[in-house]
Amino acid sequence: MTAVSARTGMTLRLEPQPGEVIDRNRPLEFTWNGQRFPAYHGDTIVSALAACGERIFSRSFKYHRPRGLLSASFLDPGCTVQVGDEPNVRGAHRRVEPGMVVSAQNVWPSLRYDVKSVNQVVGRFLTAGFYYKTFIKPQRLWPAYERVLRRFSSGGVVAKDSAHGYYDKRYAHPDVVVAGGGPAGMAAAVAAAEAGAAVLLVEEEYELGGHLRWGDAGQLEALRELRAAVAAAPGVEVMTNSVVNGRYDGNWLGIVQRNLPHVVERLVKARAKTLVVAPGLIERPYVFEGNDLPGVMLSTGVRRLVNLHAVKPGQRAVVLSANPEGDAAIDDLARAGVEVAKVVDGRRGPTIQRATGSRGVQAVECADGTVVDCDLLVTAVGWTAPTALLNMAGDRPVYSERAARFLPSLLPDDVLVAGGIAGDGPLEQLTEHARAVGREAAGRAAETARSLCAGIPQIAERRAGPPDPEPAVALPELPVEDHPALFFSGTRGFVDFSEDVTAKDLIAAAEEGYDSIELVKRYTTVTMGPSQGKLETVNAVAVLAAATGRTIAETGTTVWRPPYAPITLGALAGRIFEPVRHSPMQPWHEAAGATPLVAGAWIRPDSYGDPAGEVRAVRSGVGIIDVTPLGKFDLRGPDVPELLNQLYVNKWSRLDVGSVRYGVMCAEDGVVLDDGVTGRLAEDRYILTATSSGAATVQEWIESWLQTERPDWRIHVTPVTTAYASINVAGPRSRELLGRLVEDVDLANEAFPYMRVRVGRIAGVDGCFMWRIGFTGELSYELHVPASHGLRVWEALLERGADLGVRPFGVEAQRILRLEKGHFIVGQDTDGLTQAYGAGLGWAVKLDKPDFAGRTELVWQSRRDDYFRLVGLQPVDGSVVPPEASQIVLGRGIAGRITSSRMSPTLGRSICLGFVAPSLTGPGTQVTVRLPDGGEVAATVMPQHAHFDPEGTRQRG
Amino acid sequence: MGERAPREAALVARSPIAPAPPATVEQGWEISARRSVARLRLTDATPLAKVLVRAAADGPVARGLEIRFGRAARDADGVLVVGSGPGEWLLLAPPGTAPEIARRVTARADGEFASTFDVTHGRALMRLSGAPASDALAKVCAIDLSDGVTPDGAAVRTSVAKLVTDLVRDDRGGEPSYLLHCERSSGQYLFDALLDAGDEFGVDVDGFVFPGV
Amino acid sequence: MLLPCPWCGPRNASEFRYVGEQTVRPDPATADPAEWRSYLYMESNPAGWVAENWLHRAGCRRYFAAERHTVTNQVRATRPPDAEAAPAQHADAAAAGRAGEHVREGRP
Repeated sequence: MTAVSARTGMTLRLEPQPGEVIDRNRPLEFTWNGQRFPAYHGDTIVSALAACGERIFSRSFKYHRPRGLLSASFLDPGCTVQVGDEPNVRGAHRRVEPGMVVSAQNVWPSLRYDVKSVNQVVGRFLTAGFYYKTFIKPQRLWPAYERVLRRFSSGGVVAKDSAHGYYDKRYAHPDVVVAGGGPAGMAAAVAAAEAGAAVLLVEEEYELGGHLRWGDAGQLEALRELRAAVAAAPGVEVMTNSVVNGRYDGNWLGIVQRNLPHVVERLVKARAKTLVVAPGLIERPYVFEGNDLPGVMLSTGVRRLVNLHAVKPGQRAVVLSANPEGDAAIDDLARAGVEVAKVVDGRRGPTIQRATGSRGVQAVECADGTVVDCDLLVTAVGWTAPTALLNMAGDRPVYSERAARFLPSLLPDDVLVAGGIAGDGPLEQLTEHARAVGREAAGRAAETARSLCAGIPQIAERRAGPPDPEPAVALPELPVEDHPALFFSGTRGFVDFSEDVTAKDLIAAAEEGYDSIELVKRYTTVTMGPSQGKLETVNAVAVLAAATGRTIAETGTTVWRPPYAPITLGALAGRIFEPVRHSPMQPWHEAAGATPLVAGAWIRPDSYGDPAGEVRAVRSGVGIIDVTPLGKFDLRGPDVPELLNQLYVNKWSRLDVGSVRYGVMCAEDGVVLDDGVTGRLAEDRYILTATSSGAATVQEWIESWLQTERPDWRIHVTPVTTAYASINVAGPRSRELLGRLVEDVDLANEAFPYMRVRVGRIAGVDGCFMWRIGFTGELSYELHVPASHGLRVWEALLERGADLGVRPFGVEAQRILRLEKGHFIVGQDTDGLTQAYGAGLGWAVKLDKPDFAGRTELVWQSRRDDYFRLVGLQPVDGSVVPPEASQIVLGRGIAGRITSSRMSPTLGRSICLGFVAPSLTGPGTQVTVRLPDGGEVAATVMPQHAHFDPEGTRQRG
Repeated sequence: MGERAPREAALVARSPIAPAPPATVEQGWEISARRSVARLRLTDATPLAKVLVRAAADGPVARGLEIRFGRAARDADGVLVVGSGPGEWLLLAPPGTAPEIARRVTARADGEFASTFDVTHGRALMRLSGAPASDALAKVCAIDLSDGVTPDGAAVRTSVAKLVTDLVRDDRGGEPSYLLHCERSSGQYLFDALLDAGDEFGVDVDGFVFPGV
Repeated sequence: MLLPCPWCGPRNASEFRYVGEQTVRPDPATADPAEWRSYLYMESNPAGWVAENWLHRAGCRRYFAAERHTVTNQVRATRPPDAEAAPAQHADAAAAGRAGEHVREGRP
């Protein structure tokens, strides 16, 4: 590995330039493709390499053509490199750091001798749309195609063991956001701040200034003044190396901020009251044969290289200039010691035909017939307005023949434009216009702030009344100057350098019938690369317009959508916070090594290692389970029975104090919504329970009835799901165990029968209530303890019941126990179409109630019998456990499915619940279950849902 | 079989938020005894008594409480009355005083249909205090926390780190300070999210000091 | 999008849950299946102003009615469900949720 030694290696570094951003007192070293290179602090990766004479930085996407500098900016398409383990870095924008390891992407074996450049030879077969036409048949070769194509696909390398970067997010409420930190952006920001606005100024480059940075002495002076004004203005927050990446309804902006030392990227979600879009103008490439050769550069690229980085762009140049900025580039070239061999004035007619050379420009053929030897071709043919943010705000820009570019047309009130995107004129006129825009932006922001506050009742009361409306001040007009319409020469060249789409491809697409710009974009992938059309769209439109005999205005552009610039997944992900819910007993479950089950946001113990053993413990002794996620609602008020009658399918007018009843809720379409028990603890106090996964839905359902349909009812409903820790104590010895902890409640069967509720003290904790219900089918008590004492009661149960063999059991064991008893679970054994009768709940539905949710549809269902029914099933071979959702087939049709399925430790065989067609519901019917692997097993329909203790004697004891 | 234990161990209530060491027990609550003087401090204030009141937005109970929806202020007894929703108030008081607070409210009901609920155990409550408190909160909360929109004494319910959370701005010592509370089971999550957001500002956990209101 | 909740003021749309277009619940005693199912499932879904219901899920937890333009996402009025006569939050709320005074033709 040879080193290109510092200083002596920088063969093309110029004398210090007045506006240079490099710091010659801070030299550093980095590596490029394994070789060490020198640089200065402030160099970009590519400017440092260019200073040492490097010209080729990448190979293009499809044809693997060598590519070099074009614009020397954020958008430069030929400068995408890999930095360490970070792929797709913009080499002409990213600054070098000491020790950086940079390598070329998408090359094999190396940048110099890229074997994949064979693509150039077969290029005629790789025309646009070849993705749709090749590698299709034979299908059995697809795996082979994939392996080869993967080698040829572009993009860098992602290392699986890369350390995670720190990305976060922040919300902001600026009055004015200015997107673009050039002269117009800076002037607008300062003016807005002076008018009292809180301003956010966002700039893509590492420092403010835009095109002034590589300008003449006068422009550099103006730059110094504007930078000083920004620094002095209170209330301007500056974000450099940052991008406004998207504009959504109501000026909701996504800004990717990269100038913070402790965060790789921060996504700032800003609700801006006004947005000022001041992105400047982007120089347009010229389309001609050979326009992608290293050495073909835009005039702004040359000026950046010379003035910002003090790098000589070449030895001998041909310049095609059609505007003053191109002319200024000629001066810069001369100052840099480049021999300007020929200047072609694009304003005066014939331009150039082609550039030729291998691995770089060696000669230029002009349209007047002359051929000039050179190693640098500079083009300055025109400008593109980057209107993407305006499109996102709903604007469809309009093409101006005069300006040869698109201009904004119809903006919403909260979006303004300043700078080159709004019009032309000398610097003084543009900054004056920008100042007026900034003031106007601040004024509109203040008006919006007043409206927002007026919309908040708590604040509106305190304010004095609406202020006098300020007289509207019209913004000054900007002129639009003549710009020549130079898009392509007589020959065909590249239109999209990133996607390797040529003018020939666009014309061929039009000939194949893809003649609208939207279709051409999708068919050829033009403008779909990292710059998203900023360098390509207008040329593509011009080529297509010419090919279809229309004007550019008639052809129009594609629609721009966020993101404005490529965005990392890290920025979108941020800190990845998802709410998690824990029961008070969670520390105990973790310490006991419980297998966690994620149930929505809840973490629950699935088992403690032996679900079958847990089931046996409950059936033979006593077990306890943490059921805190069970939905619980406290109901107070005289109209509670009305509400219960409205929500449940059964009757609730009379529920005695101390009694508990099971209820089923249906939605207005008769579909089973939720089920649970409701108990009356006191004269005016009820507790309603719902399934844990349905608790949130039930709460909204209840509120919708109380707020929108029955606001006159006197009821207060309060969710208390997490206010109580809930423990189910189940098994033949549960009464014995509970007796050791409960002091003031008589637990004898006669005093405390099945389906009753009692309030009392458990393990010294007041304010508990408990009821006898049956989900597991055993004698069981469900305890509800104020949550701060839940762990205490749990531990007390285990301690006091040790000699009874008490064991904790988890959700899996509970699933088995309830399945043995045939209890269905809403959402598992019912779905979005299961109406009450289908789930076997006809016994609960009281159609003689005047009105309840779902009644209408249930009346109609009760008159039919064409619906699938929930039945108990047992596979004939008791050792086979069909996976849940296995289909039940009849002939070639589907006649049902398995909804729940487990191996039963109690019965020693598999048991199921499932839906079957009406013709198959008779007890004893044999049905065929199709397993996921294609095999089939037989199962028998049972006479009832319960597989164990169908009479339910054990839970009533 | 199985004798009753001779005497119940003293009741110790636990917060859903694990106490930062050193942990201790005071007035029946397990709390953190840590003391911090960091610029930004986060305290678990779950032991506070919390009483939820439901009543008409403009009836005798509402008039007695004197606080409208969206505002919070201390009453003559030092109880922080928060207008947490239309027709809904949350009263924050020193630990253990919930029954008395509830009685005082219902005594004013004057025949109106009103309900009180002791939600001391059902809500996790924490306080974020210090000069950078608003900036830290702005990382996980989308509402405008500027003084004009969310001033001292404002009470809002919104989404913080994707969790539905009540926010009360209750400035202390001239510095911004926020009370945040959420349903209990997500208390540890909210606490951790605030610690993460406050990390760049040097956030530190500060223990609970009675009476705490 | 900002939605102006009648109680809390303008908040990000992510705090709310869309409930559905406003419909009139037929009398359950007399409705026939076609009428009832039209109430359950059919919406008019115009490209224009729509009267619809929202729930402030992550806020005051109240249901309210809103008038929204489905193409531009302007919201011009919101009111509590039972406030037929109560003044709706008109101009100020609309300003808060404003996406543009003009209705744009074609695709946004």
